[in-house]
Amino acid sequence: MGLHDLRDQICIAGVGDTQQGAVPTKSGDELAIDAARAAIQDCGLKKDDIDGFFAQPSYGRQGDYLKLGLMLGLNPRAGGAVEASGATGCYMIQHAALLLHSGMANYVLLVYGTNQKTNRNRFGGALLEEHAPYGGFNPSLPFAFAFRRHMHLYGTTEEQLATIAINQRRNAILNPKAAQKTPITLDDYMSARYIVEPLRMFDYCYITDGGHAFVLTTAERAKDLRKPPVYIRGMGRQEAFRAYETPDLVMQSFQQERVAKMVFPMADMTSKDIQALYVQDAYSPAIIAALENYGFCPKGEAGRWIQGGRIALEGELPINANGGQLSETYMVGWQNTCDAVRQLRGECGPRQIKDVERIMCTYTGGLREHAGALILRR
Amino acid sequence: MADYTKPLPVIEPWNEPYWRAAQRHEFVAQKCRACGYIHLPPGPACTNCLSDDQDWVALSGKGTINSYGVYHQLWHPGFKDDLPYNVALIELAEGPQIISQVTGCTNEELTCGAAVEVSFEDVTPEVTLPKFRLVRP
Ligand SMILES: [Zn+2]
Repeated sequence: MGLHDLRDQICIAGVGDTQQGAVPTKSGDELAIDAARAAIQDCGLKKDDIDGFFAQPSYGRQGDYLKLGLMLGLNPRAGGAVEASGATGCYMIQHAALLLHSGMANYVLLVYGTNQKTNRNRFGGALLEEHAPYGGFNPSLPFAFAFRRHMHLYGTTEEQLATIAINQRRNAILNPKAAQKTPITLDDYMSARYIVEPLRMFDYCYITDGGHAFVLTTAERAKDLRKPPVYIRGMGRQEAFRAYETPDLVMQSFQQERVAKMVFPMADMTSKDIQALYVQDAYSPAIIAALENYGFCPKGEAGRWIQGGRIALEGELPINANGGQLSETYMVGWQNTCDAVRQLRGECGPRQIKDVERIMCTYTGGLREHAGALILRR
Repeated sequence: MADYTKPLPVIEPWNEPYWRAAQRHEFVAQKCRACGYIHLPPGPACTNCLSDDQDWVALSGKGTINSYGVYHQLWHPGFKDDLPYNVALIELAEGPQIISQVTGCTNEELTCGAAVEVSFEDVTPEVTLPKFRLVRP
């Protein structure tokens, strides 16, 4: 008995989302409920079929597990709140897979909703309280460290980093759900203001309101549902609470290389088998780290590797085909996995990746302590 | 100093000796009596062996800049007159890595790998912040 036994046994059967961007008429909990309803309808289940339930909290009291459970009118057998900031969505999918595989639950609902754009959540706090006296505010600080160090060690340039934001905006323009659709050029990028230098405005996720939900079930049950099942081929995760004591703190190699050693063997795949990649891109350097640590390119090469259309929709490895969090919506990775499912179902219209069968989704969170990944297939 | 408007450190029982030492312009870290591990930021137990039997040792104050970011965006009004200001990840000679600031130079003079040494900024009568300065050849 090992992780390998879970391969292809669990499916994402339903996805649901709401309007993204500014939704001033709804609270985060209302958006979570709207997304849950959409996900349950997407797979053709009834609410009372749900016997597992997880919620990701947003800031304030939004997304409280008990409160949302009461509002949804659920009596699930198993579930709970999961909080691992930017990796929560990934961890929840993995918790759900384990419950489903054990037989503890048959249909698990996962929800997230927030109205942090309308409520002007500025993410102005320090990640750890000991950073505040030194002015170390906003979760972008470790990403600024990471990219500065990458520039120092490998000669990576800001112009190379720009490719990520420009590419994702190009994808977002083809996506009706995306919140940011004004094309950006290299000149636009280079003339944009720094936030935490070397990162500019376009390297930051675009804060939005919205809700997302998933329904997961076993492969056997998924066959009877409305939409083609998307299988969890591989999954992996690693925490690094001692990251501050490791020399590769800012590069995240400790945790992501360990995730790679779980997710690829479980899937019987290597990075070469992956046809599209979604990275939880709170800040664009997350993509540099993921490409190198998961073995898509050699260490230090990511800045050069992403050039020349390689990560475009029609390229060798499309990245964040929805526009990601820089341009589609900031839903802490939920929107990326939602898009990956729709790509594998062939539902993506003008931004559909041709013949895509195998997609990887990676997540990170916290000061970079949390890391997780999924490989999905159709 | 009555008008000092930046956030102050939160003093807990386990980090109080660190801040009291800083007041005396001494730079210290926790050292585990059980396993000898030297660690910062201060915590209630050894992050290597979980022992709560922690001593304090003087550090050399020497280190290097692992990386740094320069803030152009204001998130706290207390930093208004400092923009653009740097926040740096310092690798200390004894091993721990801490977040601080490099002072006494322009942001353009910073580089990853540069040697730094601790300096002390008395920000209120009760609080002194350990910061760093470039070691100039
Ligand atoms: Zn110890």
